[in-house]
Amino acid sequence: MPFICLLLVCASLGYAPAAAADASSETATPIKHFITLMQSNRSFDNYFGTYPGADGIPPDTCMPVDPPGETSKDCVKPFHVQNFEEDLSHTHLTFTRQYRAGAMDGFIDAFRKRGELFSWTMGWLNDEDVPFDWNVADQYVLFDRYFTSATAGSTPNRMFWVSGQPGVTNLNQVGIPTTGWGDIPTIFDSLQASGISWKFYIENYDKNKDINYRNRGDGGISAQFAWAPVLSFARFIDDPDLSKNIVDLNQYYTDLEQGTLPAVSYVVTVGSSEHPPSNPAAGQRLIRKMVTALMQSDAWPSSAFMWAHDDWGGWYDHVSPPQVDQFGYGFRAPALLVSPYAKKGFIDSTTLDHTSVLRFIEDNWGLAPLAERDANANSFINAFDFTQPPRPPALISMSRTPPAQLIIPDRSKIYGVYAGATGFAVLVVIAALVWTESSRLRLRGSRRQALKRGHT
Amino acid sequence: MIHERQTIVSRSLDSPAPSQAGWAVPRPATRVLQLVGARADQVMFAVALVAGSALRLWHINSSGFNSDEAVYAGQAAALAGDPELSKFFPIFRAHPMLFQFLLSIMYRVHFSDVGARLLIVAIGLVTIILIYKVGALLYGTSIGALAALLMAVMPYHVIVTRQVLLDGPLTLCTTLTLYLVARFALSHRPIYLYATGASLGLVFLAKETGFVLAAAVYAFFALTPQIRIRIRDLILSGLVMMVPIAAYPMSTALAGRSDTAKGYLVWQLFRRSNHSWTFFPTVVPPAIGPLVLIAAVAGLWFLRRERSWRETLLISWILVPCFVFQLWPVKGFQYLLPVAPAIAILASRALIRVPAVLLVHRRAFAPALRAVLIAVVLLSLTLVTWDRLQPPTSATLLAGAGGMPGGRETGEWIAESTPENSVFLTVGPSMANIIQFYGHRKAYGLSVSPNPLHRNPSYEPVQNADLMIRSGQAQYIVFDAFSASRTDYFTKRLNDLVEKYDGRVVHVEYMPGADPGPEGYPPRIIIVYEVYP
Repeated sequence: MPFICLLLVCASLGYAPAAAADASSETATPIKHFITLMQSNRSFDNYFGTYPGADGIPPDTCMPVDPPGETSKDCVKPFHVQNFEEDLSHTHLTFTRQYRAGAMDGFIDAFRKRGELFSWTMGWLNDEDVPFDWNVADQYVLFDRYFTSATAGSTPNRMFWVSGQPGVTNLNQVGIPTTGWGDIPTIFDSLQASGISWKFYIENYDKNKDINYRNRGDGGISAQFAWAPVLSFARFIDDPDLSKNIVDLNQYYTDLEQGTLPAVSYVVTVGSSEHPPSNPAAGQRLIRKMVTALMQSDAWPSSAFMWAHDDWGGWYDHVSPPQVDQFGYGFRAPALLVSPYAKKGFIDSTTLDHTSVLRFIEDNWGLAPLAERDANANSFINAFDFTQPPRPPALISMSRTPPAQLIIPDRSKIYGVYAGATGFAVLVVIAALVWTESSRLRLRGSRRQALKRGHT
Repeated sequence: MIHERQTIVSRSLDSPAPSQAGWAVPRPATRVLQLVGARADQVMFAVALVAGSALRLWHINSSGFNSDEAVYAGQAAALAGDPELSKFFPIFRAHPMLFQFLLSIMYRVHFSDVGARLLIVAIGLVTIILIYKVGALLYGTSIGALAALLMAVMPYHVIVTRQVLLDGPLTLCTTLTLYLVARFALSHRPIYLYATGASLGLVFLAKETGFVLAAAVYAFFALTPQIRIRIRDLILSGLVMMVPIAAYPMSTALAGRSDTAKGYLVWQLFRRSNHSWTFFPTVVPPAIGPLVLIAAVAGLWFLRRERSWRETLLISWILVPCFVFQLWPVKGFQYLLPVAPAIAILASRALIRVPAVLLVHRRAFAPALRAVLIAVVLLSLTLVTWDRLQPPTSATLLAGAGGMPGGRETGEWIAESTPENSVFLTVGPSMANIIQFYGHRKAYGLSVSPNPLHRNPSYEPVQNADLMIRSGQAQYIVFDAFSASRTDYFTKRLNDLVEKYDGRVVHVEYMPGADPGPEGYPPRIIIVYEVYP
């Protein structure tokens, strides 16, 4: 704590740059570079419901159409969803109807009441649909008790991700206040004050377009400010010392190349967010590209790259989320970790949420908690094994199809045939030479005997 | 009948060969010279072995494997069960696997570059011993010893038997065949014909292209009517030959890879020409030694009155492969190595005997002239060989003419510094093979044709290199000067990709021993670029 205070003083006196290098490198674990990325709108069962060994869809699941059973006894079994073209409702009201006070049987009913196609929620994707995520799970860490922080959509969940609180007092409130998020403290404030380097990377971000809570833009680009909470804080827009850390995602690759990757990196995707109805492939490709670049860089041996989905997107998930306060938890979302210290093929069942990201950062760099939620959250430290030497980088495939099965011929047959054939040929040659040599010796012997006989 | 055979053996093995007279006439004038002369053959043979060993072992591990070496060593490693190299090198490729089989046994005990090359050196030295035996059998120990010495220092044989290539073992097998044919010609004993068949079988197993020497054997017998062969012996010899040959199709069939073997056969038969018709006349004579060739031809002329079946055998041994490979569209530097022993023996015959013929009226000077000629020829060979053993200063080396400078270092850097499963793009398959062998990473050569008729079945073509980078399937691009010297087109394509994707230089190998250029550093022979989509 005294150390943090000292850093705060130094920062206020303008000595932050000098302190930055030192503060960033003083960590509780070997992780010197932590990257956290937020995708959108998928439940754990939607992506990993059929992943072997994980807490996936129970085998006898059949979601009732009318949970009380008054109008219908029908139910819908989970199914492999393809060519999905809907963005399911994922509001607080939808959560409440699906959750049904912990009964967890309202997933279809919630949509039936909205007059929408209700069965989609039971759809799940398999390894061919999200091959990269499944490959990551095979090689690194999959979290199967990672809950969304709020029982609502993106906005409060992403606020939990950066600040440990929802930013609103009522989860029925949709969208970002016109006044922005005010002076809610964020992890970036703590990092900045402590002289720890950080950046917020946003896909397709163009600072010149000045898209933020004041100027929300139209169409797809408006998602930038909605999904990147820092664009809804006046200080992160107006203070050059802070705003300089909000950059386009291409800067991530440059930072890796130049060895300037900060200690803490937040990443928000826009076009590649995997938000339904978009195809998850774009997001898978982007994350693979980012992880590949990290593995190619010098930062790899001291890095950890974690990503999750901000909310459940209306999709079915069978695990009842613990209710730790009035805001959550929400349903589970897929979350994965790649790091040279990550346990291999490990399914971490520690109860986590978006504030666990904050907890890890705070623990690793010695920062004070921002709010009650992150103070009480579990860290995902269990996913690491710091006793092992850092794992060498191994690029993760985008394909679930294993490489063309290597046909290994029966080596013993090859050895047998070649040994037999070679041995036979060599024996014939040796036999010819030895036989002739012995013939010659016999001939000499008979000559000598003949000569002796001649003498006698 | 038995008596006749013994007579033949007696005459052929116990009577002095013509060469003895060649070395002995004129005899040394003094007692000292007589003593020296008596042991000269042994001394010369010992020098051949020592010099041959020294030249083959000199800095033998200074460069890593070139592409062909990597392929054969990779095959052997795959056969030995190496889990990493098995991913990149299929056991069955273009050739039968006698050498790979032997090397794999060694690899099961110890895996190293230098171990593989020492095996090849040993094979080269055994070949030298066999050349001595052939020369001694045909013309006496003096010519045998000199032929061994010529071969020991000949650039062609030295260079090839320092590398993990199939042509060194092939030359050993062909020389053994030559020896057995000579013994059959001398003794007429069918057992040698059978042994010749077995040896030809080994020739095929070493490298199928060497089987062209079966035609040389046929040509010799056809041109030498005094050597009569019974049909029964011929058939038996053919059957004996088929036993080792059968190992190739049998092993592929037992391993379920007959289609692979057929694919390679089709490709070998119909692949496009890789060199012009001037290739062999340009590269082989300097490698054998112009003076050696001149001596061999001069000997045939000056000693034409002594012409016998021996010269017919040696000339058949030389001309048939030269003729066939000159017509064959695919050419390689080392393809004609099996003819080198016959040329060395003919040259030795000339160097030993021609002085006496030239100085028929001044025979006292013949030993001195002989010594001078031998010294000049040996010196010319040794100097060229020594020069070729120095680190290359040009990247435009012939395939098979030496290791690939910087290749091993690049591969090891790749293995250590790039993520597992990284994919590399190279100009051609040569560098790709080296990356796969040393770097254990998948590599694709841009020059590999998408047309199956125009590519080695082992190689996978790159359908769209640009897409590979854009979709994150390839992460690195490797330029190498050796490949660049062979294809401007694909080098430009590679450099275009580097430029388009803003390739970042992550590793460079410089020409070893070269002087710094205007930029202040030696020429760059290998550059590894990192590319992002």
